[in-house]
Amino acid sequence: MTWLRLHLHALGEALRRLASQPVASALSILVLAVAIALPLVAAVALRSVGAATAHLDTDPHVNVYLALDASDDDVKRIGQALRNHPDAASVRFIPREQALAELKSTTHLAELLDTLDRNPLPHAYTVRVRTTDAPRIAKLREDWSALPKVDQVLADFEWSERLGRWVRFGDRALLGAWLLLGAAVALIVAHLIRLQVLTHREEIEVSQLVGATAADVRRPFLYHGLLQGLFAGAVALAAAGGVAAWASYELRALTPSYATELKVVFLPLMDSLAVALMAGGLGFLGAWSAVSRELRHFARPG
Amino acid sequence: MIQFSSVSKRYPGGHEALRGVTLEIAGGEMVAVTGHSGAGKSTLLKLAAGIERASNGTVVVNGQNLGALGETALAILRRRVGFIFQDHKLLYDRSCHDNVALPLRIAGFGREEAGKRVRAALDKVGLLDRERANPVALSGGEQQRLCIARAIVNRPSILIADEPTGNLDADYARAIVDLFVSFNQVGVTVLLSTHDEASIARLGCRRVALQNGAVGA
Repeated sequence: MTWLRLHLHALGEALRRLASQPVASALSILVLAVAIALPLVAAVALRSVGAATAHLDTDPHVNVYLALDASDDDVKRIGQALRNHPDAASVRFIPREQALAELKSTTHLAELLDTLDRNPLPHAYTVRVRTTDAPRIAKLREDWSALPKVDQVLADFEWSERLGRWVRFGDRALLGAWLLLGAAVALIVAHLIRLQVLTHREEIEVSQLVGATAADVRRPFLYHGLLQGLFAGAVALAAAGGVAAWASYELRALTPSYATELKVVFLPLMDSLAVALMAGGLGFLGAWSAVSRELRHFARPG
Repeated sequence: MIQFSSVSKRYPGGHEALRGVTLEIAGGEMVAVTGHSGAGKSTLLKLAAGIERASNGTVVVNGQNLGALGETALAILRRRVGFIFQDHKLLYDRSCHDNVALPLRIAGFGREEAGKRVRAALDKVGLLDRERANPVALSGGEQQRLCIARAIVNRPSILIADEPTGNLDADYARAIVDLFVSFNQVGVTVLLSTHDEASIARLGCRRVALQNGAVGA
């Protein structure tokens, strides 16, 4: 009961201190919120890119184009050879007629293609392979190029690997930003609480003289730092949400020219809560370091 | 109640404020520590209240060896010893009521119980009508009494006062001395320092004379 009362009292004291200087408190919270909102916006952007590319077929596959003069027997024989290869997971045949029809329907080249007197496209196989290992892919291409009536073998998935690397690069850059700006939040709170501690110096001294423990002295300052962090986290989430909504409007206008809908993906609720709690925790840490330095110590003489 | 055994106190810088002081104050006793300024009176009182620690020797208060207590335990002990500071140590950013309530707030008292105790303490020192005033508005004597109210609000069994009649004129000093006598009469152990002969005579208690940090004749 006493324990609860001490905490309620400290919380009330912290709120009173925040409210007693409304402009200063609001500015402090805004500064912290901006520091938190920056990596938050970057995280939302990265998640959105991830979501937009998630539907892309990034499975490694190899396209085998047959010679234009390949006969139906050649098609069967080559298909058999591909299916029998240990690294082939699945094999799909794309007849030249289907390839032409797809080309006509997905591009604006229909009229141009209609002027041609014959189909310029070859039969093709799309093979999903079990490996992304470069030497084995090279071996595959070599093997399959050597088959009679095979014109070209293209392993066209380096771009997906590259995309994966870019996403990982983005993740790392984001983690760095989180760490740096997290440190900034703790340092800013430490500075703000240090100023608070200085204005309450006499109260701290007298409190300790009449029996306050170090924990008693720290408590209201810790709540103060915690609240500043939590409020800043909440404001940052709201600001990042606003930016996301604003950007989302532009993105939606882009959608018709692409096959799938593009949209901004905000952080899920649990992640958002975690951001706010983390901000509160950093505020707490900053406050702790600031108060501890100003405490009078009753240590035994050495 | 309070025992000093061969207690020395050396401050950083080398000044030796107390040298081998041995002293015993029984429960319910009242003792006046006298001596010139610089004789070590304040240091002795601060050691007894757990506000400072001895460099050598042992200080035992309420059966607890202060040298063996950690910082937190020492803070808890300070709550059971009322201390009246020579420079008052009042907070001028809050009312008289809130100044007296500070020790209770630290100890985690509820608002209602704390309010009752604060008013009882202010009544005892004759400041009940100044409850809402800021200490700045009080005279020197009133500030001294406010400090006494804060010291007794936790109902301590030991009351320690550093020069409580220091800068007061004779009438105010007599009133303060009478307060301490009345606390002592209800069983509170009182330890105070003074260099005012009139006050010592009025207290009518044992005196301990300090000279250059040691107990004299």
